[in-house]
Amino acid sequence: MTDLAAASDELLAQRSADGDTVAFAVLVRRHGPYLRAFATRLTGSAADADDAVQEALITAWDALSSLEDLAKVRAWLTSIVSRKATDRIRRRKPSSELDEQRMDDLGRGPEQRAIASSQLAALADVLAALPEGQRQCWVLKEVGGYSYDEIATELGVAPAVVRGRLARARATVISEMEVWR
Amino acid sequence: MTMETPPPGGDLTGSDLNGGDLAGDDLPGDDGIGGSGYSLDELSDYLDRGRLPAIAAIDDNAECQSVLSSLERVSALSRDLIAQDAEDNPTVDESWLGALFASISQEAKAGRDIPLASPDPRTRLSITEGAVRELVRAAGDSVDGVLVGRCQLDGDVDSVGDSIRVSISISVLLGTPVHEAAETVRQRVYSELLSHTELTVEAVDVTVADVHIMLPGGDAS
Repeated sequence: MTDLAAASDELLAQRSADGDTVAFAVLVRRHGPYLRAFATRLTGSAADADDAVQEALITAWDALSSLEDLAKVRAWLTSIVSRKATDRIRRRKPSSELDEQRMDDLGRGPEQRAIASSQLAALADVLAALPEGQRQCWVLKEVGGYSYDEIATELGVAPAVVRGRLARARATVISEMEVWR
Repeated sequence: MTMETPPPGGDLTGSDLNGGDLAGDDLPGDDGIGGSGYSLDELSDYLDRGRLPAIAAIDDNAECQSVLSSLERVSALSRDLIAQDAEDNPTVDESWLGALFASISQEAKAGRDIPLASPDPRTRLSITEGAVRELVRAAGDSVDGVLVGRCQLDGDVDSVGDSIRVSISISVLLGTPVHEAAETVRQRVYSELLSHTELTVEAVDVTVADVHIMLPGGDAS
């Protein structure tokens, strides 16, 4: 019995492109937690994240054979997840009540914010407290590595809106994280 | 129209409409950070451009350098945060996985139908290209220290006995004798195709494309 868990992403992607579901399952287990974490920070909702990642992986399975650099499969999967997640964000009804509820999924709750024990916990809290649109832009730029124009397209807003949101998010994050230098 | 939650006391659309004009949005005074003339957002853009072309007013300004390093730090931390989230929740939910695999289509990958001789002229038998690739993979994987990657069948397979060329790439476990492993793979694939299909196998080309190692956790090389 061969152990596919030792295989490179590229090999697993090649086998998946050829129709090997076992190899695809290894890829999904390997990168699923990252994709889910990314989608959760992006959408602010674990349920939306699960759905977005699942949709993305179904799309990926069909499209794998068209992927040119199979070694970059995680980055490619992340880009599909971004698209599926932002599709969901665009379909959402704007509702501040819902937004607040979503915020509670992230970070560790406001009462603990003051005693964040690490830089990462502090950043988690800062991001969770950002207005939703700002947080989405921030995650897409800093983690997804997208340009302003790409983010604008994904979120269906004008590039100037993205620029404005990022300016605000940046000012907040920099000043809130200042104490952790 | 945006879905933005307005920040307290802030006028969202006002500065959104500024478009490319971003100088000093968030900063007191007009002379920028450390008197450099550059705003936080312009410093961020500078960072995004890889600090090129170099701007002396930024590079020689201590306060700008400090802000740039802060920007880099929160950017790296943001990536670390996602990685940490993933590490904190390293397993995927089995029912979620089950739903995923119930939704993906095998048919899309089945490829061509390869005819098999039938004793009854009224019956057409065939095996899919996907199934043949699976045979090839299993044969290659059965060799110690070998994992098969890509598997390609070249040639027409319209009628029984058509001849094909099989190309496969393999990865070998570090320390496995490469030539021997590749030759064993070639033989096993050949004999497997001979016994389970009616294809005339012209050649089996094996390319060693990768070397993998076993990590203690059984994780990727």
